[in-house]
Amino acid sequence: MSEFGDDVFFATIGELGAKLRARELSSVELTRATLDRLERLGPRYNALALLLRDSALKRARDADDDFKRDRLRGPLQGIPYGAKDLLSLASKPTTWGARPYAAQVFDYTATVLEKLHKARAPLAAKLAMVELAGAGSYRYASASMFGPGVNPWNPERWSGGSSSGSGSAVAAGLVPFALGSETWGSILTPSAYCGVTGLRPTYGLVSRHGAMPLSWTMDKIGPMCRSAEDCAFVLGAIAGGDSNDPGSAGKSFYYTPNSVTDFSAIQTGFAPVDFEGWADPAARPDFLKALQTFREIGVPMRETSLPEFPYSALASVVIAAEGSAVFEPLVQSGQVGELADQTQIAGLKAGLEIAAKDYLRAMRARRLLQEAFRKMFTEFDVLISASRLGPATRISDPLDQSAANRPAPKQLGLTSLGAAGNLAGLPALSLPCGFAEGLPIAIQLVGRPFSENKLLALGREFQKRTDWHRRRPPVPPRT
Amino acid sequence: MKITRRQLAGALAAGAVRTAAQTPEEPRKTPADRISQNVSALAKVKIPMAVEPAFLFKAQ
Repeated sequence: MSEFGDDVFFATIGELGAKLRARELSSVELTRATLDRLERLGPRYNALALLLRDSALKRARDADDDFKRDRLRGPLQGIPYGAKDLLSLASKPTTWGARPYAAQVFDYTATVLEKLHKARAPLAAKLAMVELAGAGSYRYASASMFGPGVNPWNPERWSGGSSSGSGSAVAAGLVPFALGSETWGSILTPSAYCGVTGLRPTYGLVSRHGAMPLSWTMDKIGPMCRSAEDCAFVLGAIAGGDSNDPGSAGKSFYYTPNSVTDFSAIQTGFAPVDFEGWADPAARPDFLKALQTFREIGVPMRETSLPEFPYSALASVVIAAEGSAVFEPLVQSGQVGELADQTQIAGLKAGLEIAAKDYLRAMRARRLLQEAFRKMFTEFDVLISASRLGPATRISDPLDQSAANRPAPKQLGLTSLGAAGNLAGLPALSLPCGFAEGLPIAIQLVGRPFSENKLLALGREFQKRTDWHRRRPPVPPRT
Repeated sequence: MKITRRQLAGALAAGAVRTAAQTPEEPRKTPADRISQNVSALAKVKIPMAVEPAFLFKAQ
């Protein structure tokens, strides 16, 4: 059992890296302590899919050897991490969170994991997720072979999905950072609910080779961390072109923390109705304080609203058509019946009935949407909205009941930014910005494609002025 | 592209889980019902004939 205090388990990548480089801590010590903690606490949150003790310690020894020889491989060297169990790791089970794939083993490793191996970051664990990342849409938090993701801030609340284990593991100090994936909300939602900082990269910036396909035109992989700067470090390691991913943009990402010196030049759009009308009443005070913080940073903020599109319908049709096509063999085999969530089963079956003309209509409307956003981003650099309108839902509640009892405001504001941003392939950064009902809430920054440095600079500045990302949930004592 | 406020509010509240919101008096929609509703909403988007789908085939 490790003797580390919580300060180490809740340290940022930058802080841990400084200790490792100064030889105050070895990667083997840190990784062993991380593995022990994952093993002890991971099951409490249903966060752990597979502990990788032997291979992680081997990687940690390699990282320490490099430190001893002054071979510095970048900010992630020696830092253990977790990865959503939708990423393949050669010769180990990759379950996609779904019982029909519980014994699935690939003979190759996902590009992002290979990149992190090269950065000398030991992979400590595969982390739990919603089955098939919610490909067929799901009704209950229990839609996973690992059980519902438990929120470290309150065990009666959901961690969010579909990167549920990644969210709760980072929040509970089980790993310094994790990889998640997003098709529609699966990084931003657990990041917001668990109080961690999450980055959804621009579509195509990070290779998806070796990741479970859900929607070929919408899937993204990104980091979930303790700070915006940590997200930048991880993105720097995992971004880049990959001929094995047909959606790859062939672009790299280099973190330039001082590239933004004048925040008054960042034209920012927001909609007051998001925070005053749509948001959960308990969340409104801290959302409004967060907006005030951005004003104090000096960003000019102007009211705006999204171009008019049926965003939710559009995203639903694209994901249902592509996701059902991906999992057609599962449906045809009848094994789809082994999934945990009945709505998911019915959704995968129903998606197979979407007509080609309707899918093509959605994809053509998406082109118009993309053009509308291109125009919007000639006026604005960043759009700000709530990551989620309120805190984490109860684990036992049907997910389609949340917010059902509040009257709808007249204006839509930017509340469809989640669907819109994913349809347009835009990057988004979710920043913890307060609490409601004792649970974290978060704000999202969305920018034009490949503007991650701008979002991260603004996020870093926000986090210099606030300490929401430093708050720790009540981790259970050792028994 | 005319959608009722109730339809849009329901769709917005769904967020990451992509299930339509509902008021207590409404019966729960099946996935097939929701797809049908979404397809109907999309049918109202006016798309010029020249607009190509948002994916690209690359000859290699």
